[in-house]
Amino acid sequence: MKLNMILGTVAGLSVSLGALMAHAQTTLTIWGLDGDNNLIGTLAAEFDAANDDIVVDFRAIAFDELVPEALKAVATGNAPDIICLDNPDFAMFSSRGAMLDITEMVAASDIIDTSVYYEGPLASAMWDGKLYGVPKATNTIALFYNKDLLDAAGVTPPQTWDELLEAARALNDPENNVYGLTWSAKGNEEGTFQFLPWIQMSGGSFEEVNGPGAVKALELWKTILDEKLASQDVLSQGQWDSTGTFNAGNAAMAISGPWELNRMAADATFDWGVTLLPTEVAGGQRSSAMGDFNWGIFATTEHPEEAFEAIEFFVAQSDRLFPEFANIPPRSDIALPSTGDARKDEALAVFVEQLKYAQPRGPHPDWAKISKAIYDAMQSAMTGQASAQDALDTAQASIDAVLGN
Amino acid sequence: MKRLFISISDGKGFDILLVGLAMFFLLALAGIPLLYNVLMSFQEVDMFTLGSFIRPWAGLDNYRYIFAQPEFWLVMKNTALFVFCSMAGQFVLGFGLAIFFQQNFWGASTIRGLFLVSWVMPGLVVGGIWSFILAGDYGVLNAILEGLGIIDEPVFWKSDPDLAIWAVIIANIWLGLAFNMLLLSVGLAAIPRDLYEAAELDGATAWQRFRTITLPMMRSTIGAVLALGLIGTLQQFDLFPAMTEGGPANTSSVTQYWAWQMSFKQYDFARGATISMLMLVFVFMAAIVYVRSTRGEVRG
Repeated sequence: MKLNMILGTVAGLSVSLGALMAHAQTTLTIWGLDGDNNLIGTLAAEFDAANDDIVVDFRAIAFDELVPEALKAVATGNAPDIICLDNPDFAMFSSRGAMLDITEMVAASDIIDTSVYYEGPLASAMWDGKLYGVPKATNTIALFYNKDLLDAAGVTPPQTWDELLEAARALNDPENNVYGLTWSAKGNEEGTFQFLPWIQMSGGSFEEVNGPGAVKALELWKTILDEKLASQDVLSQGQWDSTGTFNAGNAAMAISGPWELNRMAADATFDWGVTLLPTEVAGGQRSSAMGDFNWGIFATTEHPEEAFEAIEFFVAQSDRLFPEFANIPPRSDIALPSTGDARKDEALAVFVEQLKYAQPRGPHPDWAKISKAIYDAMQSAMTGQASAQDALDTAQASIDAVLGN
Repeated sequence: MKRLFISISDGKGFDILLVGLAMFFLLALAGIPLLYNVLMSFQEVDMFTLGSFIRPWAGLDNYRYIFAQPEFWLVMKNTALFVFCSMAGQFVLGFGLAIFFQQNFWGASTIRGLFLVSWVMPGLVVGGIWSFILAGDYGVLNAILEGLGIIDEPVFWKSDPDLAIWAVIIANIWLGLAFNMLLLSVGLAAIPRDLYEAAELDGATAWQRFRTITLPMMRSTIGAVLALGLIGTLQQFDLFPAMTEGGPANTSSVTQYWAWQMSFKQYDFARGATISMLMLVFVFMAAIVYVRSTRGEVRG
């Protein structure tokens, strides 16, 4: 009797153990940066729960650590299956064969349809005509303005560079601690993020930064600083801090992105609006920056199919990106639901329009070097170390060296 | 066998064992990484060879690249300025404070102890605090200076290309002041009081007593403090990311920050190693001064 019980237990155990073994076959590791919204963690856990035979191991990594950790992992052969990388960093990995070519898998997929994606985000996941990743979300920058101050000064939202300068002059009010404009011209990736669109609006690109339009844009930025229409601290402030001064009513206009909407709706005690980035001339070429991350699969993965399934699962949740995580989907076929705040809804409509003109930084494997050439030039001209033309010529020389021209 | 044991437990063998242990740790923890760094500065490194030892040879290409960078001379100048002014400020103010607290007035030792607060704080925190103090539009220092009528409009300490490096130097002087003061206080306390009494009886002025007694008696302490100050200043990294990030336009960038930027922001590890090789020149000077000054200590 006793023996039977033991045998029974053993048999039962081995059955359930067998069942467990049969199910828990695959472990997928995912690395990414997760903000307060816990987007990647949430989706990874849901994918884990939805698949009995797949265990998902998600590791959240801080922004500054993400690329160094990934480089280390590739070097030592310990790369995760899936990673979510900032879009300008993506080409460093895709161009060197570190990422899995998913062109065919995406073409055969019922869930991922590249034709609905915005051009900019999709381009950042491509290298040499092949697709190595799928954009997670997207964002861009446009011009915020303080409606109350503009109305009081009788100024309409500026649509060209000249109008922007005039508006900044009219709105600048040192007596009341109000600057005309604020943005970020910091000496890091944020500075390039904000300045590159201006080069692009004038017909240039990251490969050609010293055209006459780019020089004009940089001279405009310097004029704004020299005439004290903006705080000198735009040179050392990131976008978050600089937009903070706008929210506090200390700047009449600010160049920033949709990630500000919730904070602005809560903090700003005035009426505000958003307009597209001013163009060089009326009706001129539009452009803007493009931010956010791309999903990619490392080429060394042992489970390419399961990893791709996971990415399909994440893409299938695109309609939840905005309502649940305040991320803008990188595709045009998903309508953003109303937030219940008219100002936010209006602003979002402008950002969605601006996204059509958003261009990726790169893609280029040495993007960080190109970016440094651009923000160094921007800062050395704005601080009067060099003329705008000389600074951008220096940047062009550095970029040519990186591009191998 | 027995002789060997005796030698190891008490004799020449024991000395060799001690020296050997120290040399082993020195080689393992400092020598090999240093050599690895030297090697890497002559190699091409990419993400697939990051973990290897044998990589494509680059010769002097990395050095040529670094020397050809537009910011090279600016960074070198900043490093020299940062090192010299930080050390001078820390030393002069530290010496002044050490002598001041030597006067043994009421509460002197308590206040001297409180000065150590700056030294125990992490560099990132100190950088954060000074960032607030030196902020442009809403900085505390600007508010005080404006209140006193010294300036009319805010000084942009962190964003003005002529001032940014000074903002970091000021913070670094504050950070290293207590350490200098403490070491110099110890040196001062070790000088026999009767020397001063005898000199006073002979009619020596305060300046003469300082020049002919304090300074000569403090020579080895001063040498050690300056050498440690040089090392500490060259190691000072935290203040830069916390305050200026080397900007604007690299006007506050120094070699140690540039090396980090090259390795961990531009992911060019070989050239990051190359920049840190250039720092060896500075560090060697520190090592020579330090060894020379402490050698006198052992003999004396």
